Amino acid sequence: MTADLDTTATGLIERSAAAYVSGVPEDASDDGLFGPASVAWRVSTDLASPVAGLRSLLMQALHPLAMAGVDQHSGWRRDPVGRLATTSAYLATVTFGERAVALHAAARVRRIHDHVRGVDAVTGRPYAAGDPALLLWVHAALVQSSLAAVWAFGTPLSAEDSDRYVEEMIVAAELIGVPRPQVPASVADLERYVASVRPGLSYTPAAGESMAYLLNPPGLDEEIAGFWQDVRDAAIAVLPEWARQMYGYSAPPLSPGRRAEIRQSLGVLDAMFLGQPGVLEARQRITLRMRTGRPA
Amino acid sequence: MKSRRLLATTMTGSAAAALTLVLLRRRPGRLRLDRGRAALRLVMRGGVRYAAGAPRLFAAAGAQRQLLREDLALRTAEDVVGTLGAMKGVMMKIGQMASYVDDGLSPAVRRTLARLQDSVPPMSPSLAAAVVKEELGAPPERVFARWDPRPIAAASIGQVHRAVTLDGRAVAVKVQYPGSAETIAADLRNVALLRRMLRIAAPAQDVDALLSELRDRVGEELDYRREAASQRLMAAYYDGHPTIHIPAVIDGLSTRRVITSELSGGARFAELAGWPQHERDLAAETIYRFVFRSLYHVHAFNGDPHPGNYLFHRGGRVTFLDFGLVKHFTPAELQPLMQMARTICVEHDPEAFRRSLENAGFLRPGAPLSTQAIVDHLAVFYDTIREPGPVTITSDYASSVVRRFFDLRSPVAGYIALPRSYVILQRINLGLFAVLGELSATADWRAIAEEIWPFTHGPAATPMGEAEAAWRARRQAMAA
Repeated sequence: MTADLDTTATGLIERSAAAYVSGVPEDASDDGLFGPASVAWRVSTDLASPVAGLRSLLMQALHPLAMAGVDQHSGWRRDPVGRLATTSAYLATVTFGERAVALHAAARVRRIHDHVRGVDAVTGRPYAAGDPALLLWVHAALVQSSLAAVWAFGTPLSAEDSDRYVEEMIVAAELIGVPRPQVPASVADLERYVASVRPGLSYTPAAGESMAYLLNPPGLDEEIAGFWQDVRDAAIAVLPEWARQMYGYSAPPLSPGRRAEIRQSLGVLDAMFLGQPGVLEARQRITLRMRTGRPA
Repeated sequence: MKSRRLLATTMTGSAAAALTLVLLRRRPGRLRLDRGRAALRLVMRGGVRYAAGAPRLFAAAGAQRQLLREDLALRTAEDVVGTLGAMKGVMMKIGQMASYVDDGLSPAVRRTLARLQDSVPPMSPSLAAAVVKEELGAPPERVFARWDPRPIAAASIGQVHRAVTLDGRAVAVKVQYPGSAETIAADLRNVALLRRMLRIAAPAQDVDALLSELRDRVGEELDYRREAASQRLMAAYYDGHPTIHIPAVIDGLSTRRVITSELSGGARFAELAGWPQHERDLAAETIYRFVFRSLYHVHAFNGDPHPGNYLFHRGGRVTFLDFGLVKHFTPAELQPLMQMARTICVEHDPEAFRRSLENAGFLRPGAPLSTQAIVDHLAVFYDTIREPGPVTITSDYASSVVRRFFDLRSPVAGYIALPRSYVILQRINLGLFAVLGELSATADWRAIAEEIWPFTHGPAATPMGEAEAAWRARRQAMAA
């Protein structure tokens, strides 16, 4: 269906590692938009990140206009891995990069979004990627997914830190063009917002096609497919029940044993990531800054 | 469909001539093979750019964490779990074993495993002190007359501190990362995931035999009391030996998570490379005698024969460290190894050799192969000891042994299997012979083997052999 699948799994780890490394500055002149003491840094270094990423995509795809924009413009069919790597590069830069670098990256994304316009074939409605309503959904899906994934498979945040995280992330939404007053500033706000959007969400053919591809990439080697299945099960398990139903997935609650298995798989994936050039050093830079940025 | 294939064969025999075979799970047809490659490629591609060409036989294995990053030190048990949990500690242990397992490990897999080792910082002084206090009942400054809070070396799930005991002995104290044993033990229970990892890391291997052996050995290594027991056994056996030195375990200061032994000096392997060839030959002879004497007379094999565990002294004296991965054999398990060596090297009886392979479970009975083909395939492993006379073990030889290990094209390959008890012996090929090859060591290995083989009782072949014979005589006199 799409790119050479043989290179997909390889490419994803390699390219997202390269993106990550380039996003973490060597001698940072400032602490960037979040800083080493932020909850955002902790969440971004959590083992559960792949689950957060996959759950975000599943949520984002349910917005028909957001999905239409991605479907008609991003070229994901041609280069699915490239599309994911671009997003992870952007996230790493915004999270860990110096302020000016992060702002520059965001400006670039906004410029690209300016050209992404069209009409959704399913609803017949026009869309524009720069539309704050779409961007806010994409933002909220990411923030909510990070909290859900970290809660289930990583190092859970306290209620207070969860609120802080949502608040810290406002700046990320602002960067891509969502006016600050519209962005949820607490977990409760976030939940209210998601509930308000829900009636407009639907499972479109584009969502079905792209997510089926993502959840079940054809041609994966069986051993790699095993790891992917764990990430997939984890992402589906932490979706809201209504979202699972829209996709038609059923997910029995995870047993503690299954949860432990998934964490173990995430650890192996993380080790593969760590084996990529520069990743360990980038991690160490982050850890050192987090240690000095926060009382031990 | 899962008929087994030889991937690998054996320990260059020698004094002992144990035949070790690594089995390969046969990949039905090309498809399976391509998939294996695809799997490897996942971790491999970055590595191709990185790794420096030729396979280095002990790259990842000895990868000590040179840089003990104190600023990244683990401060709490939670830090330990964050670093060694979620399978990472297990992967490090696999890395330690697998680095010898196969040349088929891609440079990138090796690099990933090495990076994993690099990713573990030392414990902070207070965390290490807390472990000592829990294990020995008081803080290190009270248990010891002197305690160096800065570790001198990294161990796979611990670190080594220098100290002086209250009665004035200089010691090395290995302290285990708190919580690491529990998390690794829990992760070892996920057999399905381990199998998946091994298939990616070593697609050529018989994963199941490797896996069960690995789980046992790693599980044992988590309890330092086992290591202390193995080290005591070795130290007792080699007490007074002219060139083999095993540091004594200090009993009252060794527990499940702390092992205290006599501190030893000596040159590292890298320094030995700069010593005259004569010294290198003597060191090689000592290592060789240690490996095969331990196997045939102590019925034990240190499964971690890498250069980082040796300290060298002039005149061939070698200090052997780290007995965490010792495999103990029963006489029944050793019998077939001796039979193979005897039939091929001493009796030169190919048919008897073949029967002994079959009896040991190395070769499927009734395989439609000529005995000559079998001998041709396996003889390389006995090359250094089939005939008397000086032989130089070169890196090329070590590599050819490794290549033969992974030679799938041979028609013999499909009929060879590796019984589980012998899995660990393949590290003789990939560990010991790699080291001897690196030293370009020359000796009359056959004559030395005859000294050690229980079925030959050969005369002392070298000055070291004479000194060893005198030591044995003293031992016997004392025992009598």
